[in-house]
Formats: sequence, structure tokens, C-alpha cells
Amino acid sequence: MAGGRPGAQMPHLSKMERVVVSMQDPDQGVEMRNQRLRITVIPHTVAGSDVVDWLVQKYCISEEEALHLGTLLVLHGYLYPLRRPRSLVLRPDDTPYRFQTPYFWTSTLWPAAELDYAIYLTKKNIRKQGALVGHEKEHYDQLHRKISHTWDLVVMQAREQLRAAKQRRKGDRLVIACQEQTYWLVNRPPPGVPSVLEQGPERSSCTAGRVQMNTEFYKREMERYRKALTRARVKSSVCLEAYLKFSSQHAPHDPIMSGCLPSNPWVTDDDTYWTMNAPSVTVPTKLRVERWGFSFQELLEDPLGRAHFMDFLRTEFSAENLSFWEACEELRHGGQAQVHAMVDAVYQQFLAPGAACWVNIDSRTMERTLEGLQQPHRYVLDDAQLHIYMLMKKDSYSRFLKSAAYKDLLAQAVIPPEAKRRVFPFMRKLPHSSPSPALLPASTSGEPVAAASGPECGDGGT
Amino acid sequence: MAREECKALLDALNKAIACYHHLVLTVGGSADSQNLREELQKTRQKAQELAVATRAQLTAALRDRGLGAEERAEFERLWVAFSGCLDLLEADMRRALALSTAFPLHAPRRPLVRTGVAGGAAGVAARALSARSLRHEAEGDFDVDDLREQECEILQVSEMIHDMEMKVNVPRWTVQARQTAGAELLSSAGACSVGAVSVQERTGPCDPSKALAATVFSAVLLAAVALAVCVAKLS
Repeated sequence: MAGGRPGAQMPHLSKMERVVVSMQDPDQGVEMRNQRLRITVIPHTVAGSDVVDWLVQKYCISEEEALHLGTLLVLHGYLYPLRRPRSLVLRPDDTPYRFQTPYFWTSTLWPAAELDYAIYLTKKNIRKQGALVGHEKEHYDQLHRKISHTWDLVVMQAREQLRAAKQRRKGDRLVIACQEQTYWLVNRPPPGVPSVLEQGPERSSCTAGRVQMNTEFYKREMERYRKALTRARVKSSVCLEAYLKFSSQHAPHDPIMSGCLPSNPWVTDDDTYWTMNAPSVTVPTKLRVERWGFSFQELLEDPLGRAHFMDFLRTEFSAENLSFWEACEELRHGGQAQVHAMVDAVYQQFLAPGAACWVNIDSRTMERTLEGLQQPHRYVLDDAQLHIYMLMKKDSYSRFLKSAAYKDLLAQAVIPPEAKRRVFPFMRKLPHSSPSPALLPASTSGEPVAAASGPECGDGGT
Repeated sequence: MAREECKALLDALNKAIACYHHLVLTVGGSADSQNLREELQKTRQKAQELAVATRAQLTAALRDRGLGAEERAEFERLWVAFSGCLDLLEADMRRALALSTAFPLHAPRRPLVRTGVAGGAAGVAARALSARSLRHEAEGDFDVDDLREQECEILQVSEMIHDMEMKVNVPRWTVQARQTAGAELLSSAGACSVGAVSVQERTGPCDPSKALAATVFSAVLLAAVALAVCVAKLS
């Protein structure tokens, strides 16, 4: 059967089927009534309230849960309503339901085949004399395109199945037709109704590949554990402290935890925040400058911070360190074709004795680097770069943070004002942190704000 | 002619498979019984006989090198329909086996699902066998032996399908079916007299009985009018 064993993939189906079968017990099953159409009497109708009562009694559950369980049975097509076939809900009153025949249970006939669906739609077309509507008409046309080569078979089978059905008595014919209709309502739900048989991504079963417990396996395990022993470990007290410190340091900088001045662009559609924090802006925001003090990495990552640091190093006459570091970064991230040329350039400029910007590397690292330069690749200067990085971090960075330049930057840094709330929130004009310069001469809080938000005032004003 | 024969065989096979499908629908339900299992067996065997005969004819026809292009296209159409029929038959046979095993009629009896289908299906089986009526000769416990037979027959049918695929090379997607979308509506026989599906209290419009009722009513009306005229004339 196509699609593997649905019972294995959808275990809830076999459970539901067991419930349905236990409902059929002649002594302890659900009470059945007869349905009376004009002259035909069709037996084996069950009322919704009877189903709920039986479930409550058999499984000792609450009525709410029994209703939910009953609805699941109806949704999966094990019970179908007689009055309104398209609404697959269990109503706890005397709405009549009937049981689905085991042929049409999902576990027997899953996944539903396209050919069967085509035959069903053709039969419906014949019965309705061409008046298929809505999604069924669409499916019919689609199927005709997809399996047009077997359309002869579809028409032949549809006609013959209808003729075979005529051999039965009228009541049976009606019941069988309802059964088939329910089956297709569950397996090809109309648009807007969620498909109950949809499954998520395939879960890999645990029976995938039994491992052979032989010598090879144990050797690999031993190797794995040996490597694990040599891994560096940090005590959780230490790493939790670091974690707490990080969180408390970064909390004021997080837009979600501490809000975002002037206003969150995603919320208010005002991108002042981004313009003020652009990579190269004249006056940085205060939060940004404070962040440079957190760690050397933060300072170097921010282009503005790096530029200011470079200026500071120039005053200290150690700018070549940072230039060397930047050149190494370019080498690491640059194109493969330029590796040779770049390595040569870096050597000439920074490492050769008597070079223009000679960097101070210790002798061992210098030896190793010079050896590596015989076969240059993009990571050949990594040791030297790391040495210079640590030098800058320990030495220049701390001096930078204590320097007057940094303190000036902090003092001049801008705190963006909060955007004014609009009185009428549904007006089409977007909120701005400062009004348009055409209307008012000065901004709300000091020149730095005007200077910083100057560029976007032009496009902000309406 | 070979083509007519093949077509007739294929129609008969199609009929048998449709009836078999109709019978398998009720296995496990309230209409399940030893009689039903016997009907299933008879229909199944008939379908297999027809399948073997059709296959022999079609293979012979398709192997004939001296066939014209149009004739060949026709036979290929029949071939595609035939292999579709066989696939349907095999699938239904497997389901019938699974259901018969799940709902055995011999002890220990599992309660059958009360589906509301109560009548017998002897008419359906008779239609499949092209007989007027069917005689049930099964003893009790028919289904136990039947299960084993079913398994063998399923294997036979799958072998047949496999053989077909290997021996005759007909690419399905190149076959142009003769019936177009909506072709089923062109046949008038049986289109309206199938009856409505809904379980609401409305019987389907059956033209013959309505016509009969109309004629009877008009006859009675005419008679009443004639009597009234006579009475008026007499008085």
C-alpha cells in the first residue's frame, strides 16, 4: 500500500479505531436508533449526546474531555453527521451520526489516491449532471490535466461503479454515498478547513541503523572520550558571573529591555535611530561611546571607535600597531588571488628591518612568521596579529579609556530625545523627534540634537 | 476483430472491478457475512480470469509488428486502461485482505462496525459475473480458507503487473485518452436515475415514476370531468 503504514506513522488513528470498535459492542456499546426517511428506514444512527455519555462512562472522564474526544472522532472521519455533512463537529444533543465503514478508515486507505479522487468527482459530476462547483470543479479540472492519459479508465470506472450501486436497495445506496462523501471531506477538505491528516516534517524513527558493537566502535568511543578530557573547562561559578556581568552591562543598550531612543523604527516608521547610529556620523550617541569602554573588541568593531582610537594612537606615536592589525585583517578576509601580493606588501611595510612602520614583535613570533612567509597563505600572519592585538589591548586601550580624548567624546555625545507622542494617533504624518526646520528655527534640546538630526530633518518635514 | 474483442473483455473486467470495489466497501461493516465473503471470492476470481484473457489478447496485439500507427495507438490506450484496472484490483484485494483479517467472522468474533448498510449484495456480485442471480453455497468458516487463497491471488496479480511492465513497453504519458473532461455526461443512460445522495428527506427525481403518476392523475381528472359533464347533461 502506498505511503508506508499509516498506523505506524499516526498512532492516534489506531487508538481511535479501538474506541470505535469498542463502541460497537452489542451489550456495552453505544445505543443505536433508526433513521426514518420518507419510506426507507436506515438503522444504526447514534445521537451526539449518547456518544458523549458513553465516553464519559467508559473512560471515566469529564464531559468536556468526552466532547473533545468525540469531536476528534468526527474530524478524522470515524463518525459522520447526517444532517449537515460538511460540518464535522460533535454536537452533544440529539443530532444523528453514523459510523464510517472500515474501508474508508484512514488507516486502510491512506494516502488518498488521485485516481480514486478523480473517479469520485466524475461520479459526482454524473449525479449532478455537470453542476460541480467551487473547489471540486477546480480539482476536477486539475486532475484532468494531471492524469489525462488514464481518463478513459476514470470515466469507465465511474459509470460502472454507479451502475453497481444501483443493484443495492435504496437505503444502502444512500448510506454508501454518504460514507464516500465523508471520506473525501476528510481527505480533500474544502478551502478554509484545516486538513486533519497533515503531519509535520518526517520524524526519523529510532530504528535508523543499528550500531555494531565491535572493536572499531569501542576504539572510536575511547578516542572521543580522550579528546573530551583535554577540553578546557570553566567553572560554572566563573562563567555565570561573567554572564551576569555581561547582562547587566548590556541591559541599558538593549532596545527591547530599555527602550530605544528616539523611537523604535520598526514601530513608528521613523528611522532617526538608524541615521543617528550610522557607521560614520559626526557625533555619536552616548550609549555608543559607553559601549567602547566595555571591551577592546567592541571598540575595534565599531568603525567610528576604531577611527578615534587611531587618532589617539597617533598622539602616542604607536599608530603602526593598529595599521598592522588592519592590514592583517584585510589579508585574512581578502581575495585569494591577492594573498601573495598582500603578504609581500605587509612584510615590506611592517616587518622588514628598517621598514617605514616597523611593529614591535617578540623574537620568537618574528622567527615563526618569517619562516611562514616562505609559503604565504592568508593565515600566515595570525601569530603576529594576535601579539599586536594583545599588546594594544593591555597597553593602549586602557590608556585610551583614561585619556582626555575619550572623556571629551563622552561629554559631547548625544542623547537622542524621545519622539513626541502624536495626539491623534491615526494622523497620516509620521512622528518625528524634531520638527521641520522650515517651520521652526530651533530644535527642542540643544545644538547637538539639531546637528545630529539635521540631515534627516530635510526628508522628515512634510 | 481483435480490437472489438479486447474492448469487450476490458469492459467486462472494468465491470467486475467496479463491483468488487463496491463489495469491499462493506467488509467489516454491518453487512459483512459469510455470503459477502463468498461473493467477494467469486467476483475476485472472475476479475482475475478476465484479466488473464485481456492481457493475453493485448500482449499479442501489441507485439504484432505489422500494426498500423492508428491501430497501435488504440491498443496502447486500451493497454493503459487495462494496467490501471489491474492496479485498482490489486489495491482493493490488499485492502480486502487487511479488512478480512481485522474483522474475522469466525471465533473469536470482533463486533462488526454498525454502519447502517444492512442489505445483501448478491445483485452486485451477479452483475460482476454477468449472471442473473447468485447462489450461495458456502459453509460456515468460509473466510478462514479464503484468507489464504486471497494472499496467493494477490501475489499472482502483482506478478502479472510486474510481467506486464517488463514485457510490453508502452509509455503512459504519450497515450492520449479518448474521453475528455465531462465526457461522462454525454451518456444519458443512468445519469438521472441514480437518485439523490443527501440523507435529507427528499427522494431523487425519478422520471419514469413521476411520468406514471402524472398520467394516472390526468386520467382520473379526465374521468371526473366526463362524469360531471354527464351528470350535468342528465339533470
